[in-house]
Amino acid sequence: MEPILSIQNISKSYGPIQALKDVSIDVPEGSVFGILGPNGSGKTTMLGIILDVLIAKSGSYKWFGGMPNDAARRQIGSLLETPNFYHYLSAFNNLEITAAISKRGKDDRIRVLKQVGLFDRMNSRFQTYSLGMKQRLAIGAALLGSPKVLVLDEPTNGLDPAGIAEIRELIRKLNKEGLTIIIASHLLDEIEKVCTHVAILKKGNLLLNGPVNEVLLSEDQIEVRAEDAVALQQVLQAMSGIKKINVADNTVQLTCEPTITPVQVNEFCISKGIVLSHLLLKKKSLETKFMELTNDK
Amino acid sequence: MFGLLAIEWLKIKRYSTFWVLTALFLILLPLWNYEIANGVIKMGGSGKKGMNFLNTQYSFPQVWGNLGWWGSIFITFISILVIIITTNEYGYRTNRQNIIDGWKRMQFFNAKVLLVVVLSFMVTLYLFLLGGVFGRVYSGSFSGLFNEFKQVCYFFLLSLDYLGFALFISIWIKRSGLAIGLFLLYSLIIENILKGSINYYADTPWGNLLPLQASDELLPFPMLQMAKAMMAATPTLSMTTYAWVAIGWCLVYYFAGRAILLRNDW
Repeated sequence: MEPILSIQNISKSYGPIQALKDVSIDVPEGSVFGILGPNGSGKTTMLGIILDVLIAKSGSYKWFGGMPNDAARRQIGSLLETPNFYHYLSAFNNLEITAAISKRGKDDRIRVLKQVGLFDRMNSRFQTYSLGMKQRLAIGAALLGSPKVLVLDEPTNGLDPAGIAEIRELIRKLNKEGLTIIIASHLLDEIEKVCTHVAILKKGNLLLNGPVNEVLLSEDQIEVRAEDAVALQQVLQAMSGIKKINVADNTVQLTCEPTITPVQVNEFCISKGIVLSHLLLKKKSLETKFMELTNDK
Repeated sequence: MFGLLAIEWLKIKRYSTFWVLTALFLILLPLWNYEIANGVIKMGGSGKKGMNFLNTQYSFPQVWGNLGWWGSIFITFISILVIIITTNEYGYRTNRQNIIDGWKRMQFFNAKVLLVVVLSFMVTLYLFLLGGVFGRVYSGSFSGLFNEFKQVCYFFLLSLDYLGFALFISIWIKRSGLAIGLFLLYSLIIENILKGSINYYADTPWGNLLPLQASDELLPFPMLQMAKAMMAATPTLSMTTYAWVAIGWCLVYYFAGRAILLRNDW
Protein backbone atom coordinates (compact mmCIF):
# COMPACT_ATOMS: atom_id res chain seq x y z
CA MET A 1 0.00 0.00 0.00
CA GLU A 2 1.19 3.49 -0.87
CA PRO A 3 2.34 5.34 2.25
CA ILE A 4 0.33 8.42 3.27
CA LEU A 5 3.58 10.33 3.54
CA SER A 6 6.92 9.42 2.11
CA ILE A 7 9.97 11.39 3.19
CA GLN A 8 13.15 10.88 1.16
CA ASN A 9 16.62 11.91 2.33
CA ILE A 10 15.65 15.24 3.86
CA SER A 11 18.42 17.45 5.21
CA LYS A 12 18.12 20.87 6.71
CA SER A 13 20.52 23.21 8.44
CA TYR A 14 20.22 26.51 10.27
CA GLY A 15 23.58 28.13 9.61
CA PRO A 16 26.22 25.83 11.11
CA ILE A 17 23.65 23.72 12.96
CA GLN A 18 22.47 20.70 11.04
CA ALA A 19 18.89 20.16 12.13
CA LEU A 20 18.13 17.11 9.98
CA LYS A 21 20.58 14.73 8.37
CA ASP A 22 19.38 12.66 5.46
CA VAL A 23 16.14 11.51 7.08
CA SER A 24 13.84 9.10 5.23
CA ILE A 25 10.55 7.89 6.68
CA ASP A 26 7.40 6.29 5.30
CA VAL A 27 4.17 6.79 7.19
CA PRO A 28 1.73 3.93 6.48
CA GLU A 29 -1.95 4.62 6.08
CA GLY A 30 -3.99 4.11 9.24
CA SER A 31 -1.02 4.30 11.59
CA VAL A 32 -0.42 6.44 14.63
CA PHE A 33 3.10 7.48 13.82
CA GLY A 34 5.13 8.82 16.72
CA ILE A 35 8.14 11.01 16.15
CA LEU A 36 10.17 10.94 19.27
CA GLY A 37 13.27 12.78 20.30
CA PRO A 38 14.73 15.03 22.97
CA ASN A 39 14.41 18.81 22.72
CA GLY A 40 16.17 20.15 19.66
CA SER A 41 16.32 16.80 17.88
CA GLY A 42 14.62 18.08 14.72
CA LYS A 43 11.01 16.94 15.23
CA THR A 44 9.38 20.30 14.61
CA THR A 45 11.81 21.06 11.79
CA MET A 46 10.73 17.89 10.04
CA LEU A 47 7.03 18.67 10.47
CA GLY A 48 7.68 22.25 9.33
CA ILE A 49 9.23 20.93 6.14
CA ILE A 50 6.44 18.50 5.31
CA LEU A 51 3.91 21.30 5.93
CA ASP A 52 5.82 23.69 3.64
CA VAL A 53 6.64 26.42 6.14
CA LEU A 54 10.33 25.48 6.19
CA ILE A 55 12.44 24.78 3.15
CA ALA A 56 14.65 21.67 3.14
CA LYS A 57 18.23 21.96 1.96
CA SER A 58 17.89 18.70 0.06
CA GLY A 59 15.56 15.74 -0.20
CA SER A 60 11.87 15.49 -1.01
CA TYR A 61 8.56 14.37 0.37
CA LYS A 62 5.30 13.15 -1.10
CA TRP A 63 1.81 13.26 0.41
CA PHE A 64 -0.82 10.74 -0.71
CA GLY A 65 1.44 9.31 -3.40
CA GLY A 66 2.25 12.66 -5.00
CA MET A 67 -0.74 14.98 -4.64
CA PRO A 68 0.17 18.71 -5.02
CA ASN A 69 1.31 19.87 -1.61
CA ASP A 70 -1.26 22.62 -1.06
CA ALA A 71 -4.14 20.30 -1.98
CA ALA A 72 -2.68 17.67 0.35
CA ARG A 73 -2.45 20.18 3.21
CA ARG A 74 -6.13 20.97 2.82
CA GLN A 75 -6.83 17.34 3.74
CA ILE A 76 -4.53 17.40 6.72
CA GLY A 77 -5.40 18.89 10.08
CA SER A 78 -2.23 20.27 11.60
CA LEU A 79 -0.94 21.75 14.79
CA LEU A 80 2.64 22.96 14.44
CA GLU A 81 4.62 24.14 17.46
CA THR A 82 2.26 26.80 18.82
CA PRO A 83 -1.44 27.61 18.47
CA ASN A 84 -1.46 30.33 15.78
CA PHE A 85 -4.62 32.42 15.68
CA TYR A 86 -5.77 36.01 15.22
CA HIS A 87 -5.67 37.38 18.75
CA TYR A 88 -8.53 39.80 18.26
CA LEU A 89 -10.96 37.22 16.86
CA SER A 90 -13.07 34.74 18.80
CA ALA A 91 -12.49 30.99 18.53
CA PHE A 92 -15.57 30.72 16.35
CA ASN A 93 -14.40 33.42 13.94
CA ASN A 94 -10.84 32.10 13.87
CA LEU A 95 -12.17 28.73 12.79
CA GLU A 96 -14.07 30.45 9.97
CA ILE A 97 -10.72 31.49 8.51
CA THR A 98 -9.28 28.00 9.01
CA ALA A 99 -12.32 26.55 7.24
CA ALA A 100 -12.14 29.08 4.40
CA ILE A 101 -8.50 28.31 3.66
CA SER A 102 -8.73 24.54 4.03
CA LYS A 103 -12.11 24.55 2.26
CA ARG A 104 -13.58 22.21 4.81
CA GLY A 105 -15.57 22.34 7.99
CA LYS A 106 -17.29 25.74 8.08
CA ASP A 107 -20.42 24.00 9.40
CA ASP A 108 -18.40 21.72 11.62
CA ARG A 109 -17.21 24.44 14.01
CA ILE A 110 -19.71 23.90 16.80
CA ARG A 111 -18.98 20.16 16.85
CA VAL A 112 -15.21 20.54 17.18
CA LEU A 113 -15.53 23.33 19.75
CA LYS A 114 -17.70 21.01 21.83
CA GLN A 115 -15.24 18.19 21.30
CA VAL A 116 -12.31 20.20 22.67
CA GLY A 117 -14.40 21.73 25.46
CA LEU A 118 -14.44 25.33 24.24
CA PHE A 119 -18.10 25.61 23.32
CA ASP A 120 -18.89 27.84 26.31
CA ARG A 121 -16.07 30.22 25.45
CA MET A 122 -16.28 30.14 21.69
CA ASN A 123 -17.24 33.80 21.43
CA SER A 124 -14.39 35.02 23.62
CA ARG A 125 -11.41 36.49 21.88
CA PHE A 126 -8.38 34.25 21.46
CA GLN A 127 -6.18 36.63 23.46
CA THR A 128 -8.31 36.02 26.56
CA TYR A 129 -7.61 32.26 26.49
CA SER A 130 -5.29 30.39 28.83
CA LEU A 131 -2.40 28.36 27.40
CA GLY A 132 -4.39 25.13 27.66
CA MET A 133 -7.44 26.67 25.96
CA LYS A 134 -5.28 27.95 23.11
CA GLN A 135 -3.89 24.47 22.69
CA ARG A 136 -7.39 23.02 22.71
CA LEU A 137 -8.46 25.46 20.02
CA ALA A 138 -5.47 24.45 17.90
CA ILE A 139 -6.47 20.81 18.24
CA GLY A 140 -10.04 21.77 17.39
CA ALA A 141 -8.86 23.59 14.28
CA ALA A 142 -6.93 20.49 13.22
CA LEU A 143 -10.05 18.35 13.63
CA LEU A 144 -12.26 20.75 11.66
CA GLY A 145 -14.06 19.14 8.74
CA SER A 146 -12.80 15.61 9.47
CA PRO A 147 -9.40 15.57 7.73
CA LYS A 148 -7.84 12.29 6.55
CA VAL A 149 -4.60 12.91 8.36
CA LEU A 150 -3.67 14.71 11.56
CA VAL A 151 -0.23 16.17 12.16
CA LEU A 152 0.17 17.05 15.82
CA ASP A 153 3.30 18.64 17.20
CA GLU A 154 3.44 18.26 20.98
CA PRO A 155 -0.37 18.19 21.19
CA THR A 156 -0.51 17.95 24.98
CA ASN A 157 1.59 21.08 25.60
CA GLY A 158 -0.02 23.18 28.28
CA LEU A 159 -2.84 20.72 28.99
CA ASP A 160 -3.75 19.51 32.45
CA PRO A 161 -3.61 15.75 33.22
CA ALA A 162 -7.29 15.31 32.38
CA GLY A 163 -6.73 17.15 29.10
CA ILE A 164 -3.76 14.93 28.28
CA ALA A 165 -5.86 11.81 28.87
CA GLU A 166 -8.66 13.26 26.72
CA ILE A 167 -6.30 13.87 23.84
CA ARG A 168 -4.91 10.37 24.13
CA GLU A 169 -8.42 8.92 24.00
CA LEU A 170 -9.27 11.16 21.09
CA ILE A 171 -6.23 9.99 19.15
CA ARG A 172 -7.15 6.35 19.76
CA LYS A 173 -10.73 6.94 18.72
CA LEU A 174 -9.86 8.86 15.55
CA ASN A 175 -7.30 6.24 14.59
CA LYS A 176 -9.97 3.54 14.97
CA GLU A 177 -12.13 5.57 12.61
CA GLY A 178 -9.35 5.27 10.06
CA LEU A 179 -7.39 8.50 10.43
CA THR A 180 -3.65 8.46 10.06
CA ILE A 181 -2.06 10.45 12.85
CA ILE A 182 1.48 11.78 12.93
CA ILE A 183 2.43 12.93 16.39
CA ALA A 184 5.69 14.46 17.55
CA SER A 185 6.55 14.48 21.20
CA HIS A 186 9.34 14.41 23.71
CA LEU A 187 6.98 12.71 26.14
CA LEU A 188 7.66 8.99 25.85
CA ASP A 189 4.59 8.09 27.76
CA GLU A 190 2.42 9.88 25.27
CA ILE A 191 3.95 8.08 22.31
CA GLU A 192 4.18 4.67 23.94
CA LYS A 193 0.53 4.63 24.90
CA VAL A 194 -0.96 5.48 21.54
CA CYS A 195 1.48 4.85 18.72
CA THR A 196 1.58 1.96 16.29
CA HIS A 197 4.81 3.17 14.70
CA VAL A 198 7.70 5.17 16.00
CA ALA A 199 10.69 7.06 14.67
CA ILE A 200 13.38 8.29 17.00
CA LEU A 201 15.41 11.37 16.17
CA LYS A 202 18.53 12.60 17.87
CA LYS A 203 20.39 15.72 16.79
CA GLY A 204 18.87 15.44 13.35
CA ASN A 205 19.74 11.77 12.85
CA LEU A 206 17.06 9.14 12.44
CA LEU A 207 18.12 6.49 14.94
CA LEU A 208 15.32 4.05 14.53
CA ASN A 209 12.07 3.71 12.66
CA GLY A 210 9.37 1.04 12.49
CA PRO A 211 6.30 -0.54 14.11
CA VAL A 212 6.34 -0.17 17.89
CA ASN A 213 6.03 -3.98 18.42
CA GLU A 214 9.00 -4.85 16.29
CA VAL A 215 11.15 -2.05 17.53
CA LEU A 216 10.49 -2.97 21.13
CA LEU A 217 10.29 -6.76 20.90
CA SER A 218 13.62 -7.12 19.24
CA GLU A 219 15.43 -6.50 22.48
CA ASP A 220 13.26 -8.19 25.07
CA GLN A 221 14.90 -9.76 28.07
CA ILE A 222 13.99 -12.91 29.91
CA GLU A 223 14.62 -13.08 33.64
CA VAL A 224 15.09 -16.39 35.39
CA ARG A 225 15.92 -17.56 38.90
CA ALA A 226 16.63 -20.97 40.42
CA GLU A 227 17.90 -22.37 43.72
CA ASP A 228 21.38 -22.71 42.34
CA ALA A 229 22.15 -19.57 40.40
CA VAL A 230 25.63 -20.66 39.42
CA ALA A 231 24.43 -23.94 37.92
CA LEU A 232 21.63 -22.11 36.16
CA GLN A 233 24.07 -19.72 34.59
CA GLN A 234 26.33 -22.54 33.43
CA VAL A 235 23.44 -24.45 31.89
CA LEU A 236 22.11 -21.44 30.05
CA GLN A 237 25.49 -20.65 28.58
CA ALA A 238 25.06 -23.82 26.55
CA MET A 239 21.66 -22.80 25.15
CA SER A 240 21.69 -21.53 21.59
CA GLY A 241 19.94 -18.25 20.74
CA ILE A 242 21.06 -16.48 23.89
CA LYS A 243 23.17 -13.45 23.12
CA LYS A 244 24.09 -12.20 26.54
CA ILE A 245 23.83 -13.29 30.15
CA ASN A 246 23.84 -10.93 33.11
CA VAL A 247 23.66 -11.92 36.72
CA ALA A 248 22.39 -9.58 39.37
CA ASP A 249 21.04 -10.43 42.83
CA ASN A 250 20.78 -14.15 42.03
CA THR A 251 18.70 -13.28 39.00
CA VAL A 252 19.92 -14.24 35.56
CA GLN A 253 18.99 -11.83 32.79
CA LEU A 254 19.03 -13.17 29.25
CA THR A 255 19.22 -11.10 26.11
CA CYS A 256 17.95 -13.45 23.43
CA GLU A 257 17.36 -13.76 19.72
CA PRO A 258 13.80 -12.67 18.86
CA THR A 259 12.83 -16.33 18.24
CA ILE A 260 13.50 -17.43 21.81
CA THR A 261 10.42 -17.60 24.04
CA PRO A 262 10.16 -18.10 27.82
CA VAL A 263 8.63 -21.53 27.13
CA GLN A 264 11.80 -22.64 25.32
CA VAL A 265 13.98 -21.39 28.16
CA ASN A 266 11.86 -23.25 30.70
CA GLU A 267 11.91 -26.50 28.69
CA PHE A 268 15.64 -26.24 28.21
CA CYS A 269 16.32 -25.78 31.92
CA ILE A 270 14.02 -28.67 32.93
CA SER A 271 15.71 -30.93 30.39
CA LYS A 272 18.99 -30.10 32.13
CA GLY A 273 17.52 -30.84 35.54
CA ILE A 274 17.03 -27.28 36.80
CA VAL A 275 13.66 -26.14 38.06
CA LEU A 276 13.04 -22.41 37.70
CA SER A 277 11.65 -20.50 40.63
CA HIS A 278 11.12 -17.36 38.57
CA LEU A 279 10.49 -16.74 34.87
CA LEU A 280 9.63 -13.32 33.46
CA LEU A 281 9.51 -11.80 30.00
CA LYS A 282 10.61 -8.19 30.33
CA LYS A 283 9.61 -5.98 27.43
CA LYS A 284 12.06 -3.20 27.25
CA SER A 285 10.14 -0.03 27.85
CA LEU A 286 10.34 2.73 25.30
CA GLU A 287 11.87 4.90 27.95
CA THR A 288 14.79 2.55 28.50
CA LYS A 289 15.21 2.24 24.78
CA PHE A 290 14.97 5.96 24.28
CA MET A 291 17.54 6.69 26.97
CA GLU A 292 19.91 4.11 25.55
CA LEU A 293 19.56 5.45 22.06
CA THR A 294 19.77 9.11 22.84
CA ASN A 295 22.47 8.97 25.49
CA ASP A 296 25.76 10.33 24.34
CA LYS A 297 28.18 7.47 24.18
CA MET B 1 -8.96 36.13 -6.58
CA PHE B 2 -12.23 36.94 -4.82
CA GLY B 3 -11.65 33.93 -2.61
CA LEU B 4 -8.38 35.42 -1.38
CA LEU B 5 -9.97 38.81 -0.80
CA ALA B 6 -12.91 37.24 1.02
CA ILE B 7 -10.48 35.61 3.46
CA GLU B 8 -8.57 38.89 3.94
CA TRP B 9 -11.92 40.47 4.71
CA LEU B 10 -12.62 37.82 7.37
CA LYS B 11 -9.31 38.76 8.96
CA ILE B 12 -9.94 42.50 9.13
CA LYS B 13 -13.65 43.00 9.39
CA ARG B 14 -13.65 42.52 13.16
CA TYR B 15 -10.29 44.21 13.74
CA SER B 16 -10.84 47.41 15.68
CA THR B 17 -7.48 48.94 14.69
CA PHE B 18 -8.53 48.65 11.06
CA TRP B 19 -11.76 50.50 11.69
CA VAL B 20 -10.22 53.19 13.90
CA LEU B 21 -7.46 54.07 11.44
CA THR B 22 -9.84 53.94 8.49
CA ALA B 23 -12.38 56.11 10.29
CA LEU B 24 -9.69 58.64 11.22
CA PHE B 25 -8.61 58.80 7.59
CA LEU B 26 -12.20 59.18 6.40
CA ILE B 27 -13.00 61.90 8.96
CA LEU B 28 -9.75 63.85 9.17
CA LEU B 29 -9.10 64.28 5.45
CA PRO B 30 -12.33 66.21 4.75
CA LEU B 31 -12.20 68.01 8.11
CA TRP B 32 -8.67 69.21 7.42
CA ASN B 33 -9.57 70.40 3.94
CA TYR B 34 -12.77 72.03 5.17
CA GLU B 35 -10.75 74.05 7.68
CA ILE B 36 -8.23 75.07 5.06
CA ALA B 37 -10.90 75.98 2.54
CA ASN B 38 -12.53 78.20 5.17
CA GLY B 39 -9.29 79.78 6.36
CA VAL B 40 -9.43 78.17 9.80
CA ILE B 41 -6.06 76.49 9.17
CA LYS B 42 -3.85 78.75 7.12
CA MET B 43 -0.44 79.89 6.14
CA GLY B 44 0.22 83.62 6.62
CA GLY B 45 -1.52 84.84 9.75
CA SER B 46 -3.45 83.36 12.58
CA GLY B 47 -6.89 83.52 14.11
CA LYS B 48 -9.25 85.55 12.00
CA LYS B 49 -6.49 87.86 10.79
CA GLY B 50 -4.00 87.56 8.04
CA MET B 51 -3.75 86.61 4.44
CA ASN B 52 -4.33 83.06 3.33
CA PHE B 53 -2.68 81.25 0.44
CA LEU B 54 -4.02 77.78 0.87
CA ASN B 55 -7.74 78.28 0.44
CA THR B 56 -7.65 79.19 -3.22
CA GLN B 57 -7.42 75.68 -4.58
CA TYR B 58 -10.84 74.14 -4.01
CA SER B 59 -12.63 74.83 -7.27
CA PHE B 60 -12.43 72.65 -10.37
CA PRO B 61 -9.96 71.66 -11.64
CA GLN B 62 -7.36 72.73 -9.02
CA VAL B 63 -9.20 70.76 -6.32
CA TRP B 64 -7.80 67.47 -7.68
CA GLY B 65 -4.15 68.45 -7.37
CA ASN B 66 -4.79 70.10 -4.03
CA LEU B 67 -6.71 67.19 -2.47
CA GLY B 68 -4.22 64.80 -4.04
CA TRP B 69 -1.37 66.57 -2.24
CA TRP B 70 -3.12 66.41 1.13
CA GLY B 71 -4.11 62.84 0.38
CA SER B 72 -0.44 62.01 -0.14
CA ILE B 73 0.14 62.98 3.49
CA PHE B 74 -2.97 61.31 4.88
CA ILE B 75 -2.19 58.06 3.03
CA THR B 76 0.32 57.48 5.85
CA PHE B 77 -2.64 56.34 8.01
CA ILE B 78 -3.47 53.64 5.53
CA SER B 79 0.19 52.72 5.02
CA ILE B 80 0.57 52.13 8.75
CA LEU B 81 -2.61 50.08 8.64
CA VAL B 82 -1.14 47.88 5.90
CA ILE B 83 2.01 47.44 7.99
CA ILE B 84 0.02 46.49 11.08
CA ILE B 85 -2.19 44.03 9.24
CA THR B 86 0.79 42.36 7.57
CA THR B 87 3.17 42.25 10.53
CA ASN B 88 0.31 40.91 12.69
CA GLU B 89 0.49 37.76 10.60
CA TYR B 90 4.12 37.32 11.60
CA GLY B 91 3.48 38.28 15.22
CA TYR B 92 0.61 35.82 15.55
CA ARG B 93 2.40 33.33 13.26
CA THR B 94 -0.82 33.10 11.30
CA ASN B 95 1.28 33.40 8.14
CA ARG B 96 2.46 29.88 8.96
CA GLN B 97 -1.00 28.72 9.88
CA ASN B 98 -2.45 29.97 6.58
CA ILE B 99 0.10 27.82 4.74
CA ILE B 100 -0.43 24.83 7.01
CA ASP B 101 -4.17 25.11 6.44
CA GLY B 102 -3.69 24.88 2.69
CA TRP B 103 -2.62 28.13 1.06
CA LYS B 104 0.37 28.28 -1.24
CA ARG B 105 2.92 30.88 -0.18
CA MET B 106 2.02 32.94 -3.23
CA GLN B 107 -1.64 32.88 -2.24
CA PHE B 108 -0.72 34.43 1.09
CA PHE B 109 1.28 37.11 -0.73
CA ASN B 110 -1.29 37.72 -3.46
CA ALA B 111 -4.05 38.13 -0.89
CA LYS B 112 -2.07 40.98 0.67
CA VAL B 113 -1.24 42.48 -2.73
CA LEU B 114 -4.92 42.41 -3.65
CA LEU B 115 -5.75 44.07 -0.35
CA VAL B 116 -3.30 46.85 -1.21
CA VAL B 117 -4.87 47.30 -4.65
CA VAL B 118 -8.38 47.38 -3.22
CA LEU B 119 -7.42 49.84 -0.45
CA SER B 120 -5.74 52.07 -3.06
CA PHE B 121 -8.87 51.96 -5.17
CA MET B 122 -11.11 52.75 -2.21
CA VAL B 123 -9.08 55.75 -1.01
CA THR B 124 -8.94 57.05 -4.60
CA LEU B 125 -12.69 56.68 -4.91
CA TYR B 126 -13.11 58.53 -1.63
CA LEU B 127 -10.79 61.29 -2.80
CA PHE B 128 -12.83 61.56 -5.98
CA LEU B 129 -16.06 61.91 -4.01
CA LEU B 130 -14.52 64.53 -1.71
CA GLY B 131 -13.13 66.41 -4.72
CA GLY B 132 -16.58 66.36 -6.29
CA VAL B 133 -18.16 67.85 -3.17
CA PHE B 134 -15.48 70.50 -2.56
CA GLY B 135 -15.33 71.37 -6.24
CA ARG B 136 -19.11 71.69 -6.49
CA VAL B 137 -19.25 73.92 -3.40
CA TYR B 138 -16.38 76.21 -4.40
CA SER B 139 -17.00 76.28 -8.16
CA GLY B 140 -20.75 76.60 -7.89
CA SER B 141 -21.24 73.94 -10.55
CA PHE B 142 -19.85 70.67 -11.84
CA SER B 143 -18.34 72.25 -14.92
CA GLY B 144 -14.72 71.27 -15.32
CA LEU B 145 -15.24 68.22 -13.09
CA PHE B 146 -13.16 65.99 -15.33
CA ASN B 147 -10.51 68.54 -16.24
CA GLU B 148 -7.26 67.36 -14.71
CA PHE B 149 -8.95 64.07 -13.86
CA LYS B 150 -5.56 62.47 -14.51
CA GLN B 151 -4.58 63.77 -11.08
CA VAL B 152 -7.10 61.38 -9.56
CA CYS B 153 -5.35 58.61 -11.47
CA TYR B 154 -2.04 59.92 -10.15
CA PHE B 155 -3.45 59.60 -6.65
CA PHE B 156 -4.30 55.97 -7.32
CA LEU B 157 -0.72 55.43 -8.42
CA LEU B 158 0.58 57.26 -5.37
CA SER B 159 -1.57 55.09 -3.09
CA LEU B 160 -0.31 51.93 -4.76
CA ASP B 161 3.25 53.18 -4.37
CA TYR B 162 2.87 54.01 -0.66
CA LEU B 163 0.84 50.95 0.29
CA GLY B 164 3.00 48.66 -1.84
CA PHE B 165 6.08 50.07 -0.14
CA ALA B 166 4.43 49.52 3.24
CA LEU B 167 3.65 45.90 2.32
CA PHE B 168 7.20 45.32 1.14
CA ILE B 169 8.71 46.79 4.32
CA SER B 170 6.41 44.58 6.41
CA ILE B 171 7.36 41.40 4.60
CA TRP B 172 11.00 42.31 4.76
CA ILE B 173 11.16 43.45 8.40
CA LYS B 174 8.33 41.28 9.84
CA ARG B 175 8.26 43.16 13.15
CA SER B 176 5.51 45.70 13.61
CA GLY B 177 7.23 48.46 15.57
CA LEU B 178 10.43 48.42 13.56
CA ALA B 179 8.56 48.34 10.26
CA ILE B 180 6.41 51.33 11.20
CA GLY B 181 9.47 53.20 12.49
CA LEU B 182 11.45 52.55 9.34
CA PHE B 183 8.52 53.45 7.12
CA LEU B 184 8.03 56.81 8.82
CA LEU B 185 11.75 57.56 9.00
CA TYR B 186 12.20 56.71 5.36
CA SER B 187 9.20 58.59 4.05
CA LEU B 188 9.74 61.72 6.17
CA ILE B 189 13.50 62.00 6.55
CA ILE B 190 15.73 59.45 4.85
CA GLU B 191 14.24 59.87 1.41
CA ASN B 192 14.57 63.65 1.63
CA ILE B 193 18.22 63.33 2.61
CA LEU B 194 18.84 60.92 -0.26
CA LYS B 195 16.91 63.03 -2.72
CA GLY B 196 18.67 66.22 -1.66
CA SER B 197 22.08 64.59 -1.80
CA ILE B 198 21.56 63.03 -5.21
CA ASN B 199 20.13 66.19 -6.70
CA TYR B 200 22.80 68.38 -5.13
CA TYR B 201 25.96 66.37 -5.60
CA ALA B 202 25.10 64.88 -8.98
CA ASP B 203 23.30 68.04 -10.07
CA THR B 204 20.51 65.99 -11.60
CA PRO B 205 16.80 65.45 -10.82
CA TRP B 206 17.36 61.73 -10.33
CA GLY B 207 16.78 62.06 -6.62
CA ASN B 208 13.14 62.72 -7.52
CA LEU B 209 12.86 59.16 -8.78
CA LEU B 210 13.29 57.51 -5.37
CA PRO B 211 10.52 55.05 -4.40
CA LEU B 212 8.00 57.32 -2.69
CA GLN B 213 9.29 60.58 -4.15
CA ALA B 214 8.47 59.51 -7.73
CA SER B 215 4.78 59.44 -6.91
CA ASP B 216 5.02 62.50 -4.65
CA GLU B 217 6.25 64.37 -7.72
CA LEU B 218 2.96 63.53 -9.44
CA LEU B 219 1.05 65.56 -6.85
CA PRO B 220 3.27 68.43 -5.70
CA PHE B 221 2.35 71.05 -3.13
CA PRO B 222 0.01 73.39 -5.05
CA MET B 223 1.74 76.59 -3.81
CA LEU B 224 5.06 75.21 -4.96
CA GLN B 225 3.65 74.71 -8.44
CA MET B 226 2.53 78.32 -8.52
CA ALA B 227 5.87 79.57 -7.24
CA LYS B 228 7.74 77.49 -9.78
CA ALA B 229 5.55 78.82 -12.56
CA MET B 230 6.13 82.39 -11.42
CA MET B 231 9.88 81.92 -11.23
CA ALA B 232 9.81 80.12 -14.56
CA ALA B 233 11.93 77.40 -12.99
CA THR B 234 13.15 74.78 -15.38
CA PRO B 235 10.86 71.76 -15.38
CA THR B 236 12.63 68.70 -14.16
CA LEU B 237 11.17 65.47 -15.45
CA SER B 238 7.83 64.94 -17.15
CA MET B 239 4.78 63.61 -15.30
CA THR B 240 4.80 60.63 -17.65
CA THR B 241 8.30 59.76 -16.51
CA TYR B 242 7.27 59.96 -12.86
CA ALA B 243 4.18 57.86 -13.52
CA TRP B 244 6.21 55.11 -15.20
CA VAL B 245 8.86 55.19 -12.51
CA ALA B 246 6.17 54.87 -9.81
CA ILE B 247 4.71 51.87 -11.65
CA GLY B 248 8.23 50.48 -11.87
CA TRP B 249 8.68 50.78 -8.10
CA CYS B 250 5.39 48.96 -7.52
CA LEU B 251 6.71 46.09 -9.64
CA VAL B 252 9.97 46.13 -7.69
CA TYR B 253 8.04 45.81 -4.39
CA TYR B 254 6.05 42.94 -5.84
CA PHE B 255 8.95 40.92 -7.14
CA ALA B 256 11.24 41.66 -4.19
CA GLY B 257 8.47 40.72 -1.74
CA ARG B 258 7.77 37.56 -3.71
CA ALA B 259 11.46 36.59 -3.68
CA ILE B 260 11.69 37.07 0.09
CA LEU B 261 8.57 34.98 0.71
CA LEU B 262 9.49 32.12 -1.59
CA ARG B 263 13.11 31.84 -0.54
CA ASN B 264 12.98 31.95 3.23
CA ASP B 265 11.72 29.77 6.03
CA TRP B 266 8.49 31.04 7.59
